[in-house]
Amino acid sequence: METLHYLSIGFGVALQPENLLFALMGCFIGTLIGALPGLGPANGVAILIPLAFTLGLKPETALIMLTAVYAGAMYGGRISSILLNIPGDEPAMMTCLDGYPMARQGKAAEALAISAIASCMGSLIATIGLILLAPILARFALTFGPAEYFALFVLAFATLGGITGKNPMKTLMAAALGLIIATMGIDLSTGTQRYTFGILELYEGVDFIIAIVGLFAVSELLFFIEDKAGIGRAMIKVNPLKLNWREIRSILPTTVRGGVLGFIAGVLPGAGASLGSFISYTLEKKILGKKGNFGEGDPRGVAAPEAGNNGASSGALVPMLTLGVPGSGTTAVLLAMLVSLNITPGPMMFTQHADLVWGVIAALLVGNIMLLLLNIPMVGVFVKILSVPPMFLLPIVTMVAFVGIYSISHSVFDLSFMIGFGVAGYVLRKLEVPLVPVILGLLLGPEMEKNLRHSMQISDGDWSILWSSNLSIGLWLIAIIGLLLPVVVGPILRRRMQAAQSRTDG
Amino acid sequence: MSKLNDRVFGLLMLVLAVAYYYGATQFPAPFGGMEAVGPDTFPKLLAVILGICSLYMMVKPDPDNAWPEGKTFLELGIAVATLVVYAFLMEPLGFILSTTLAVGTLCWRMGARPSRAYLTGLISGAVVFVLFTYGLELPLPAGLLEMN
Repeated sequence: METLHYLSIGFGVALQPENLLFALMGCFIGTLIGALPGLGPANGVAILIPLAFTLGLKPETALIMLTAVYAGAMYGGRISSILLNIPGDEPAMMTCLDGYPMARQGKAAEALAISAIASCMGSLIATIGLILLAPILARFALTFGPAEYFALFVLAFATLGGITGKNPMKTLMAAALGLIIATMGIDLSTGTQRYTFGILELYEGVDFIIAIVGLFAVSELLFFIEDKAGIGRAMIKVNPLKLNWREIRSILPTTVRGGVLGFIAGVLPGAGASLGSFISYTLEKKILGKKGNFGEGDPRGVAAPEAGNNGASSGALVPMLTLGVPGSGTTAVLLAMLVSLNITPGPMMFTQHADLVWGVIAALLVGNIMLLLLNIPMVGVFVKILSVPPMFLLPIVTMVAFVGIYSISHSVFDLSFMIGFGVAGYVLRKLEVPLVPVILGLLLGPEMEKNLRHSMQISDGDWSILWSSNLSIGLWLIAIIGLLLPVVVGPILRRRMQAAQSRTDG
Repeated sequence: MSKLNDRVFGLLMLVLAVAYYYGATQFPAPFGGMEAVGPDTFPKLLAVILGICSLYMMVKPDPDNAWPEGKTFLELGIAVATLVVYAFLMEPLGFILSTTLAVGTLCWRMGARPSRAYLTGLISGAVVFVLFTYGLELPLPAGLLEMN
């Protein structure tokens, strides 16, 4: 009942006209960002953070807008999967399998509508899961001491590469790099200058917003130039929509299964939205077996992965909101927003900032209804914008990133720093060193060091306190498994995903 | 397939790890004497992790991704140079002019016709300038176009 009470407070926040307006804006921009190939959700949210910041929005409004962008990007990803056969973001990969064939059979509008409904259902189911699970997890997390937190951070890094990640050592290296950058600046508890090289701008450390925007947005531009993808690709025309109630009903069981599976994949460390959509697609194929014609444009093959990835994206908010430890790139960027608004993420948020947390959760419910309404009648608008070739869109997006960073500090130094991070991001991506752990390291570095300090002060310098409680031992074990599992299971899973993908390409 | 990339990068990271560790040993002792975890403990820990990872990378490198060559490399260089010039010209030239130049050049190098490219730059720059300066009251530099 307590949950219902909080939820009603949340709706009170989410339904304020200002917040509704920004949620709508976020939904629209998010869908757009998701639809553009190459502009993933993490990227899009990153570009918008400085803008939300300089606009001086209230924390809840800013977070509601960015969460709406995040949810919207998950919807948008499907548009380019279905019409172009290029996933707008990674989790939308599985939607290509049946979405593109459907579109080629002249049923593009139906595929878009079905996937919108599935996205909405998946997300709503997972949001309900979030409402039920998050308070319990938050209460549990209150029992964590500094040693447990330190182990939890290690766990977050160890599982961040995901089960499908290629080389766990590179994930670890990326995390170490991020943490190293985070130590630059004046040490908060002793006042010692660390790695500032006497440069005044470095005294306060490296602003992670600059790093995030550079790593994502600028490196993306460079990749587009290298791939010579400026012209864009031929797109399938959208036919007038003919969808009856019976067809919608036939996909409902699929979306429920997809949403639940997606939610679980989202909550678990190291799984994420890509795996969520993959699992729900393969499971659906197994359950329906020969009754479906998967791979040739089965509506349920569109519904399953969409419900799965939207479910996972809401599920991924659970560890971010309750533990302050994000499990994916986009939730890491959302966390960056919280930190820069001076809100300490973690279990205390549920008591100290109840209106903010529950406002965001309620906004997620409202936002999904908005997204459904936006995405069925207005899909034509998004299709129009998608047909603008990337050679015009990407430079403009880069310019918006510049404006965002510039308007925070009016500093040319920051802009050049951002470009530097962009080039570094390009090199790291070429070497297949993942970028998300770098960002997470930057974000969590100070907290992690603080928790290490506190536990050492408690134990008077005895390192064994880090693995002295059952809980922390459990966390360390999961972390180790998280590092080892990709080496064992990763190649098998990746091969299957690729096999499924190449069947439609060929 | 060559595996040089990972080896070279691993070596660079190893150098960084050693330098970073050395840097941590040079911190002045904190005011009030040493504690169990000083300002240098966490960096030293990180340096060790980075060192282990870079050694692993050199011993077991992944196959290389091809680096861009010739013309593509030049295009990337032009793009980065454009961005740097954009950053430094934003204040002296003003937002609209520098955006016209930067966005225009990027669009053009990505395959648009020059006239359309620079027109895109001019329009997007003007729209964002008006939106920010008058709509959001976050003034962007007017530069040469400043009217007094």
